[in-house]
Formats: sequence, structure tokens, C-alpha cells
Amino acid sequence: MIRLPLLSTVIKNLFKKPATNPFPKTEPVPVPENFRGKIVYNVDKCVGCRMCVTVCPAGVFVYLPEIRKVALWTGRCVFCKQCVDVCPTGALQMSDEFLLASYDKYDSKFIYVTPEEAEEIKKKQEELKKAKAQAKAKKSQ
Amino acid sequence: MSKEEEFVEIVKQKFPEANVEIKENKWGRRRVWISVPRESFRDFMKFLKEYDEDAHYSIAIEEDVGDAIDFSIHLLLKYEDTPAISLIVKTSVPKDDPVLPDISDIFPISLQFEREAMEMIGIDFENAPDKRRLFLPDDFPEGIYPLRLDDKGIPEEMVKNAGHPYLLRRGK
Repeated sequence: MIRLPLLSTVIKNLFKKPATNPFPKTEPVPVPENFRGKIVYNVDKCVGCRMCVTVCPAGVFVYLPEIRKVALWTGRCVFCKQCVDVCPTGALQMSDEFLLASYDKYDSKFIYVTPEEAEEIKKKQEELKKAKAQAKAKKSQ
Repeated sequence: MSKEEEFVEIVKQKFPEANVEIKENKWGRRRVWISVPRESFRDFMKFLKEYDEDAHYSIAIEEDVGDAIDFSIHLLLKYEDTPAISLIVKTSVPKDDPVLPDISDIFPISLQFEREAMEMIGIDFENAPDKRRLFLPDDFPEGIYPLRLDDKGIPEEMVKNAGHPYLLRRGK
């Protein structure tokens, strides 16, 4: 005597709609609140406290002492959100972005602050410093 | 008298050279810490097997502590009714003579942990029936022990890092 306990369920399911999400034709399954997607880095808010460098388990951050900012490579990120929790100025945030496939691991979407950008920031900071010094000199006169 | 105290009394009578301590964590769970010299290590493990035939050997941990190597074993005794006796047996061997007696005839599973300790930190277990490597690959160099903190540990040039694109000056 062969027992087929699943047979009735299978026959019932034959007359139901498929419970799938045909992704490229439709929107993906919506992400929940507080979803941990790609990191977004706001360079202007960063004060260079190095907390993210200390706390990151994956080595995403490189501290740049000249401009007091960090360079990121989110290609290594494990989405643990520890840097976001520890950042005192809110310069690091989690976005909802999760479709991050790429042909190149050094794609520009994974990198914040390239060496060229670092040079620019350095120039800007120097200009700011000069302007401040001039303003001070004027005041003292 | 609780189970731990009973056990500690017996240990103190039988092994006066052992250093016995009962520690309690903030949730009230008690654990017995015993450090025995390596001369009485094998006798102590034999005594544990006699004290409780079903003693459960959980794990053995090898650790580099400067000029010596610690080898600790976590056991669970008398676990028919909770809470069981949670016991840590610790032995220390000097680095210039890292030899311990093998106990795999008393607790058969200990052979796996001994093989790990032999390759990872270089403790030599006398008369162990199997001294092959367990986790390290066959082409790993001899005389290098990954868990050692001194110059027998992994040299600088064996440590590889895939690198950060900012430091490699890669990416657009």
C-alpha cells in the first residue's frame, strides 16, 4: 500500500495563483522600515572623529588625516549599521538601496572620497583657513 | 551544601596542589575553576572520570600567556539534575618544554582538541595516538604556530590584505 499524503494538497494547489514576484517585470518586494541598505556618506557633516574606523568590522573606512575625513569603500560593507549608530554628527546614514550588482568592484557607486576628491577638499579647506585668517586680521586692525 | 562545594571538598582532599576557586557571575551561575600542575593533570582527569562516569567534555582551549601556554578544558559534571557542575580545568606548560600527557584514552573526544592544540600553538601531547594536522593545510610551513604571540607565530609577510581602493589608488 503506497501512501501519498501530499497528493490532495498538490491537487488543491494546482488551482491556485502562483505566489511569486516576477521581479524584473514588477517592483521588488518592498523593504521594511529601518532597512539596512547601502551607506550614504555626507562629507560636509564629517568631523573626522575616527569612531567609524574603530568600530567597522569589515575595513570599509580609511582615515585621511590631512583633511580629517574618511574614505569609504562600501564594496566590503557587511551592513551592520555600527558606523551609523556611532557617528556623532549623522554624516553616515543607511539608505534603502539594495540593488548593488556591479561589473567592477571599484565602481564609483561603492567609493566615497577618491584621491582627487580628497585633493579638492584639501584646497577648499585651505581657502577657508585663509579667508578666516584674513577676517581675523581685519578685525584686529 | 551544594554540588559544587561537595566536589570542591573532594578535590581539595585528593589534590592539595591544585588551585581551586568557585566564581559566580551576575546571574548567579556558579563555575568551578581548577588549575592543576601538569604532573597531576592526567591523574586529575582520571579522577574526574571516576567521579562522574558521564562527565561531558565540552571544549579544550589553548592560549598563549607570555612565557607559558595555558591549556584549559571545560567539563560538565553531574548533569542529571540542573544546575550541573560547570568546571574548567587549567594546566600551564612552559614554552621551552611544552609537553602534556595525552588523555584521549580517558576522554576519547579530547584527541581532536589535542590535535588542534598541537598544530595551532605547539603543545606536544605525549603518546597521542594520532599526531596528524587537523585544520591547517598540508603545505603550511613546519614550526609556525598560528596562535602563538611570539616569533613562532605567523610572520608579517604571511598576512595578506586585499587592500582598500583609496590606498591602492584604484577606481574612478
